Amino acid sequence: MIDLKDLTKEYQEEDTPTQALRGITFSIEKGEFVSIMGPSGSGKSTLLHILSFLDRPTGGSYKFLGKSIDEMSDHELAQVRNKAMGFVFQSFNLLARLTVYDNVEIPLLYSDLPVAERKRRVEEAVDSVGLKEKLYVETGKLSGGQKQRIAIARALVTDPDVIFADEPTGNLDSKSGLQIMEILDALHKKGRTVVLVTHETQTAEFANRMIFIRDGLVESDKPIAKHGPVRNLK
Amino acid sequence: MLYKDAFKTAIRSLTHSKTRTILTMLGIIIGIASVIILMSIGQSAQDLILGKVQGIGSNLIIIIPGAPSNGKFSAPASEQGAIITTLQQRDVDALQREPSIQGVAALVGGQAEVVYGNNDATESFQGVTGNMFAIRNLTVGQGYPFTQSDVDSQNHVVVIGPDLATTLFGKYVNPINKTIRIKNVSFRVVGVLATGGTGAFGVDEGNIVIVPISVAQKELLGISYFSTILVQANPQYNIDFVTSRIKFELGQDHGITDPNKYDFNIETQADILSLVGSITSVLTLFLAAIASISLIVGGIGIMNIMLVAVTERTREIGLRKAVGATDKDILQQFLIESIMLTLVGGIIGIALGAAVVGLIYFIASTFTTVGWVFAFPISGVILGVSVSTLSGLIFGIYPARQAGRKNPIDALRYE
Repeated sequence: MIDLKDLTKEYQEEDTPTQALRGITFSIEKGEFVSIMGPSGSGKSTLLHILSFLDRPTGGSYKFLGKSIDEMSDHELAQVRNKAMGFVFQSFNLLARLTVYDNVEIPLLYSDLPVAERKRRVEEAVDSVGLKEKLYVETGKLSGGQKQRIAIARALVTDPDVIFADEPTGNLDSKSGLQIMEILDALHKKGRTVVLVTHETQTAEFANRMIFIRDGLVESDKPIAKHGPVRNLK
Repeated sequence: MLYKDAFKTAIRSLTHSKTRTILTMLGIIIGIASVIILMSIGQSAQDLILGKVQGIGSNLIIIIPGAPSNGKFSAPASEQGAIITTLQQRDVDALQREPSIQGVAALVGGQAEVVYGNNDATESFQGVTGNMFAIRNLTVGQGYPFTQSDVDSQNHVVVIGPDLATTLFGKYVNPINKTIRIKNVSFRVVGVLATGGTGAFGVDEGNIVIVPISVAQKELLGISYFSTILVQANPQYNIDFVTSRIKFELGQDHGITDPNKYDFNIETQADILSLVGSITSVLTLFLAAIASISLIVGGIGIMNIMLVAVTERTREIGLRKAVGATDKDILQQFLIESIMLTLVGGIIGIALGAAVVGLIYFIASTFTTVGWVFAFPISGVILGVSVSTLSGLIFGIYPARQAGRKNPIDALRYE
């Protein structure tokens, strides 16, 4: 599903070139739950931006569902983001003045689905995160944990191939954080691909594979034994 | 993004901060209202003036002395103060013989002190021939107009305007048969005009003094020429034909064959209408142009607020782009917001303008005798709607482009 080969990203910062990514190679298959870890400044956020089509690499190749990012126009990237990718951010990025319904509907506004289908999907997505009763509540009135659940519903509403979660528990207390990770885990178990960026080991261990980035390179890429196989054995 | 969704999103954004939205609209509301009000005042003034001109009758031709002016907007020499003595009794006689002409009236004028008892006033007076009342549709309300025989006999009789009658005699004294003094010459009042106001000749008819032309020429002015000849064309003839006949007759009378050297000007109602019409149109346009300055100021206010909104909503833009909005979607959303802002402002401005125009009409018709005409030009409404929409587009495009161009990563990180 995701194929990276020698991926590089160079920034120009005050006339000095900075290499954020220096040759990243890995693949993610459909249905995997991958966490990308690394200290701050390691390049993990840059990597996530490229993986999620918000940015383009300066070198190497990136194929998503078999198609290279280099072959796609900005308009096509936007379409792929809309249809095939879901986003969960650390700071939720909900529009506080809008209701839960309106927030979750936002990605569908940029699709061509009919209104009735949009309504069905929004209700289903909100129901799947257990907040059906909050459908017409303004998101500004929700707790942090509820906000992130709504953000997950918004990521799910387009029925994407992959969900990118950027520090989804970073702004939450440990109880709410756990709830969020359980929702992502459940999504994975239903067959959805989840790519998680975090610097918290506990959070990262919900995944079944961990890619560790340091100084713009993959330092390690290994399965997380205790989560996947161990639980499955039980 | 569907337009329906874009409109819904715009309405939500605008209603979210109502005070700001209303304050932002205020510039456009005032701008459009001013355009409407000034255009309507211009139109009313035009209708009023044209109405007066039309009141002189379509078959009336005015002859004034002096060489024809070349430019439409320069007054003939006689109207600029030069004394020209070329219009004489023989001209009137010649014109009276012309079959295409129904009637010929002559006119002289000046300023004089008018006295009755202890009351006096300095007013314009006119010396006219007996047929002038009929030709100019002057109605005498009290008493009678004087006749041609009064003119021929050089009788000292006078018809005055109703306002002057009140000034001289007060409200309770009947002016008829009272003797007033004009330039120290005694005249007997025989009539008072029915209506006041400014007439088609730019004379304040409320305060006018009309005496027989023979007396005016001899005793008040000491001249033998005329300052104006009015010709009433025979309705059976085309007005242009009559005009050409007048040119021929007067040219022959004055011994001039080259039309470029004529020493008289001929103006028909159509000429005056077109001149007055073009002057008042320019005036209306000028007023509208002044009002549009406030529209520009209002538009800049819109741009300013939209730029603030774009900055405030940077994260929203980032999010929308992350979940699939294109640059065009974002540009469209902000553009619709600014157009909606100005369009609604424009509609409120039109309503406000209409209310003020109605109020002006009410005040003018209730408290003055100007005869103000109610005019609410539909062109003003069309202009108002289109200009406000256009200003939303023009002043919204820059902020909307700024929004559309935002990088989603930077936008999402924006604090």
